[in-house]
Amino acid sequence: MTNPTTDPTTDLSAPGTARILDRGYRPYEGPRRGARGAMRSLIRHSVQRVLGLKRNVWTKVLPFLTIFFAYVPAIVFVGVAVLLKDRFATEGVDINDVLPSYGEYYLFIWAAIEVFAAFSAPEVLCTDRRTGMIGLYLASPLRRDTYLMAKAAAVGFVLSIVTLGPPLFMLIARTIAGVGPDGVGGFVAVAWRVVVAGIIAAVLPLAMTLAIASTTTRRAAASAAFILISLGSIVVTEALINAGGSKTLFVFNLPYLPIELVARLFGEPAGKIWSSSASVPTSSLVIAYLVFTALCALFVRTRYQRIRVTR
Amino acid sequence: MTTIEPMIEVDGVSKWFGDLVAVSDISFEVGPGVTALLGPNGAGKSTILRMLCGLTGPARGTVRVLGGDPRRDLGLARHIGLVPQQEVTFETLTAFEFVRLAAVLHGLGHPDGAAALALGVVELDPADRRPTSTYSKGMRQRVKVAQAIVHQPHVIVLDEPLTGLDPRQRLHMINLFQRLGEDGRCVIVSSHVLDEVERFGSRVLVMVQGRLAAEGDFHAIRELMDDRPHRVRVRSDRPRVLATALLDAEAALAVRLEGADTVIVDTDQVARFRRCVAAAAQRSDAHLWEVTPLDDDLESVFRYLVGR
Amino acid sequence: MTEIRAPRRHPTPRTPGAVMSLYRLMLTSQVTRTRVIGLSALGLVSVFVGFAIGHAHLHDALRQGTRFINGFGLSLLVPVATLVFASASLGDPNEDGTLVYLWLRPVARAKIVAAAALASFTVTWPIVTIPLVISAALTGGGRSLVVGTVAGVTVSMVAYIGLFVALGLRVKRATVWGLLYIFVWEGFVATGNNTASRLAVRTYARSVLSHITGETFRVTDIASPWRWLVPVAVALVALAYATRRLSRQDVA
Repeated sequence: MTNPTTDPTTDLSAPGTARILDRGYRPYEGPRRGARGAMRSLIRHSVQRVLGLKRNVWTKVLPFLTIFFAYVPAIVFVGVAVLLKDRFATEGVDINDVLPSYGEYYLFIWAAIEVFAAFSAPEVLCTDRRTGMIGLYLASPLRRDTYLMAKAAAVGFVLSIVTLGPPLFMLIARTIAGVGPDGVGGFVAVAWRVVVAGIIAAVLPLAMTLAIASTTTRRAAASAAFILISLGSIVVTEALINAGGSKTLFVFNLPYLPIELVARLFGEPAGKIWSSSASVPTSSLVIAYLVFTALCALFVRTRYQRIRVTR
Repeated sequence: MTTIEPMIEVDGVSKWFGDLVAVSDISFEVGPGVTALLGPNGAGKSTILRMLCGLTGPARGTVRVLGGDPRRDLGLARHIGLVPQQEVTFETLTAFEFVRLAAVLHGLGHPDGAAALALGVVELDPADRRPTSTYSKGMRQRVKVAQAIVHQPHVIVLDEPLTGLDPRQRLHMINLFQRLGEDGRCVIVSSHVLDEVERFGSRVLVMVQGRLAAEGDFHAIRELMDDRPHRVRVRSDRPRVLATALLDAEAALAVRLEGADTVIVDTDQVARFRRCVAAAAQRSDAHLWEVTPLDDDLESVFRYLVGR
Repeated sequence: MTEIRAPRRHPTPRTPGAVMSLYRLMLTSQVTRTRVIGLSALGLVSVFVGFAIGHAHLHDALRQGTRFINGFGLSLLVPVATLVFASASLGDPNEDGTLVYLWLRPVARAKIVAAAALASFTVTWPIVTIPLVISAALTGGGRSLVVGTVAGVTVSMVAYIGLFVALGLRVKRATVWGLLYIFVWEGFVATGNNTASRLAVRTYARSVLSHITGETFRVTDIASPWRWLVPVAVALVALAYATRRLSRQDVA
C-alpha cells in the first residue's frame, strides 16, 4: 500500500487523494531487539540521567564538577612531568619518584569517588521506583535481574570515569611525553594494573550505593545515607583503632578499603598510605572487599525480587 | 438597573515563565455567582487561578480581589478559598485534622465545629480516623473542597474540582457550587467536563493559548459568532418544501435533508431564521414538529473558540 | 438567602494557636519511621564507640573522646541529621505542593518559618544529643566532655537549622546541596585556612567543645562571645531570609 504521508510522488491534487498527518496510536511494527536491546537502551538512558545529559544545566553541575575534581590532579601531575622532566633529569632525579604513583593517586580522588557514588545510583534506582517507571521497564523484555544488571552497568560505567579515567589519562599522557613506563612490556604491566585498580575502586562503592538506593525511593535520603555510612565508617574505625582495637578493624573503613587494595596492587608497602592498615594482610583486605561487595549485591538483588511492581 | 460590584478584577495581566508566555494581556471582571473558566490544556487557566489567589504574581497588569492585592494583602487570604489542582494533602492528618488546621489558621473561633460542618457539607465523616493518604482520589477531592469552604470565604477558586468524583458526588458538588454562588459568593471553577460545567450556570471565561478568547453567557457568545453558521434541526411532515421556503426567505445558508421528516439548516442569521421558520411552515402548509439548535451548547461554543 | 457582602478592608485576623498547630503538623510530617530509625542507628554506633573508648581505659580518654565527638558528632551526625529534618520542614511541602495549604492562610510568614524551625529542633535535638551524650559519658572523658557535647551540639544545631530550613525553601534538592555544603565546604575547603574556617558552622561548635573540654584542635579557635553569638546570628539571618523568601516566592 502506498503511504500518502511519505510518498513524495503522491499527487495530492488528484481527485480522491487525501493525506493523514497523524493517525493517533498505532502498534509498533518495527524490529524488536529483545532483552539485550532493552538493556543497552536502559544503560544508555541511565548514563545520560546520571550525567545530566539532555537535561537542564543544574543536573550537570554535580557530575561534571566531580569529574573535574577527579581529573585536576592528573592534569597537574602530567603538566609537571612534561614541563620539568628535563630539569629533573639534569639534577639526576627520576621524575617518577617525585610525582605520586598510580596507587597514591587514589588518595587525591577518593572523595570524588564517594561523592559520585553517593549521587549516581540513587539517581537511577530511586527515581524509577518513585515515579513508577520500573513498572514500565519490567513490562518490557527486561526481567528484574536484567534491569538491575543494566542499572549496575550504567552506574559502574559512570563511576569508572573517575576511578579508571584519570590514572589511564596519566599513563597515556606520561607515555606520550616520554616519562611513562619503559617499553611495551612496562606499559602493559602498568596498564593492566590501572584497569584492575579502576575496577577495584569502583565496584565496592557501586555495590554499596546500589544497596542503599534500593532501600528508599528518596534520592536525597539515599545519598545522605551513603555519605553517612562511608564517612561514619572512617571515623568509627579510626576511633576504635585509636582506642586499642584490633588493626584488622581497618577493613570496616569502607572508603579506604578499596584505596588501600589499589595501593598494594601497585606494590606500595602496607601502611604507606594509612598507618592503621600496616599490619593488615592483603588477604584480609581482599576477603573483606569481596564479602562486603557480595553482601551488598545479594541485598540489592533480594530487595528487587521482593519489590511489588504495579504495571 | 443595579450594578453588581466586581469581586475579581483582572486588568491587562500577562505572565511568562522564561520564554513561555502563559498568560497574555488578559482583562476581565467577575462578580458574585458561578463562573466557569474553560480552555484546553496549557491555555493558562491554572496560572490565572493561581494569580487570583496570590500564589504567583502577574509579570504585567494588576489582579484585584475584593479590592485588594492577593499577592501582598495577607488579610485577604481570610476571604479566599482554593481547591488546588494537585491531589496531595498532608498525608499524616485525618480529614478532620486537615480541615480543622485550615479553620485554626483562619482564626475561626470554633475550629472543631467549623471543620465538622464543612466535612458534612461534602458528605465526609468527621469521625473518620483514617489518614487522608488512605483516601481515594474522589474523597481527597472532597476534603480539599471542605478546607476551601471551612472559613466561608467570599471568593472560592476551584481548579478542576470534579476530577475523580463519582457521578453522584459530581452532582452533589455542582449543586454545592451553585448554592455558594446563589449566596452571593464569587465561585470560579475550571473544568474540562463541559456538560457539567454547563450546569454550573451559563457564565464562562474561555482561554486559548494564554489569551482570553471569550467571556460572558455562552449562549450570547454563540450568538456573536457570526463567522460560524448556526445549525438547527427542523422536523416536519413536509421537510423538502419547508427547506425550499427557508432558502427562498433567505433565512438559511444551506439545508440538508435527513430521513423522511428532518431538515438540517445552517444559518448565519438566527434571529431572521426564528422569525421566518413559522411563517415558512405556514406558507408551505407544513406542520412543524421540532425546531432544535444543534450547536448552541457549551461544547460547541468551546469547540468553535478553541478550534479556530 | 443570606446576602454576602464583600469587605473592602482586609485586616489580618488574629490566629491564636496557629504556631502550635503548624508546629504539630511539621513535627508529625518530619518524624517518619525511616528517618528516625536510620539516624537513631547512627546514634547507637556513637554509643558503641564511646563504650569501646571507655572500655580501653586510655590515659588520654578525654582527648580520644573529644576527637570522636568532634569527628563523628559535630562533623557528621549533627549536620546531616539536622539537614534531613530541617530541609524537609518546608522543603517537602514546597516540593509536593502542600505548602499552598499553609501559604493561603492569613498567617504571618514568620510564624510558619518559626514553627518549621522549632519542629526541626524538637525532632533533631534528642535524636542527636542523647546518643552523643551517652557516648561522651561512656568514653570516660568526664563531665566536661558531656557538657561540651551538649553545648557544641546545641550551638551548631541552632545555626544548621536556620541554614537548612532556608535551603529547603530555596532549592529543589536541598539534601544534596546541603550534603555538598557539609562535606565539600565544611569538610574540605573550610579546613584549609583560617578565613574559610570562620565561614563554617562546625568551627564554632568545635571551638565551644574545645573551650569546655580544654582539648585543642588544629583549626582556628574562636573568641568567647563570638563562638556563641555567631551561630545564633547565622540562624536568625537565615530564618529571616526564609521568611522573606516564603513571602515572595511562587507557590505551586
